[in-house]
Amino acid sequence: MTTDRNLKTDKELWQSLATGPVASTSVSDLDFAAWLEGNLSETEAARIDAAVSSNPELRLAAMDLAEILGMPLPAAPARMTVRAQALVGFEAERAVARRGWLAGLFDGFALPRAVMAAATVVVAITGFMMGGGLGESFAQEKNAARTATVTTSQNANEMNSFFTGDGI
Amino acid sequence: MTELKEIDLRALATGSKRTWDAFVVASTPLINAVVRRSLSTYRLSEEDVMDAAQDVYVRLCANDYRLLKTYDPARAGLSTWLAVVARSSAVDHARRRRHGTTPIDDVPETALAIEDKHVEKLKIPDGLLTERQTLILKYLYDEERDVTEIAQLLKIDAQTVRSTHHKALLRLREHFKEEAP
Repeated sequence: MTTDRNLKTDKELWQSLATGPVASTSVSDLDFAAWLEGNLSETEAARIDAAVSSNPELRLAAMDLAEILGMPLPAAPARMTVRAQALVGFEAERAVARRGWLAGLFDGFALPRAVMAAATVVVAITGFMMGGGLGESFAQEKNAARTATVTTSQNANEMNSFFTGDGI
Repeated sequence: MTELKEIDLRALATGSKRTWDAFVVASTPLINAVVRRSLSTYRLSEEDVMDAAQDVYVRLCANDYRLLKTYDPARAGLSTWLAVVARSSAVDHARRRRHGTTPIDDVPETALAIEDKHVEKLKIPDGLLTERQTLILKYLYDEERDVTEIAQLLKIDAQTVRSTHHKALLRLREHFKEEAP
């Protein structure tokens, strides 16, 4: 057909030509979205047109996104939703995380427990000191050892005098 | 179910859990579709699809919702912007996953092809075609897209696509006829 033949010739003409090098312009996500919606002015749109026509990946992205945005979408897997929801916690959880571990120590039962532990240590130390402490304990031990030595040597003398004397 | 356009963006950016949950429910069908389409050429697993979708949400809420706060409803609809963000995030994810481990058989031939530098092409002078005309010709002839698809993408009539194409070719023919000896 005439139209087909013309199109084929047009295509051949196009493929024999080279477009000039286009300075790579970065396109922000928001600009690209605005371009996809046809919300840009002619000048702004021309900049994105140039970027898209010079970049095959952007050309493919534009086509894919336009197609997806224009069709009914199937439901996503439940696991995808649950995982994404878990990324943001409730206010109370985040408040604790923000205050840090030191402040967390004094929340709930932590403070009464710490007070009880400190009181127990104080009572134990006081009791120990009233009992004379380590000094008293060492002195008692030393005295006991001395008494034991004296008793042993006394026994030895008695045995000697027994054997050297008349004996049995 | 709440729709995306009904989401309170201010509450979302301040970290409201309820709003985030509603936002996730409303946006997962779109994110899911975009991520699947973006990864389809990379032949990745279902687990990768899940991870890539999760990456999109991580990006959105990271650094106190910094990315989400850049969204401007006056410039584009939330769905369109989310779709663009999801696509770039998914492509990044796929590139990270396939980095240095792609068997040569899995790479499309077009990616391995080397352009024949010996073929001399006539250069189209700057300003001969508008950016829109160049874009339409590239979609028609380099990408072999249908006129209807291009019209849908550019939010214009199919007839406008045809007339833009026609005018562009007239200009090209006129210019290169003059140059021919």
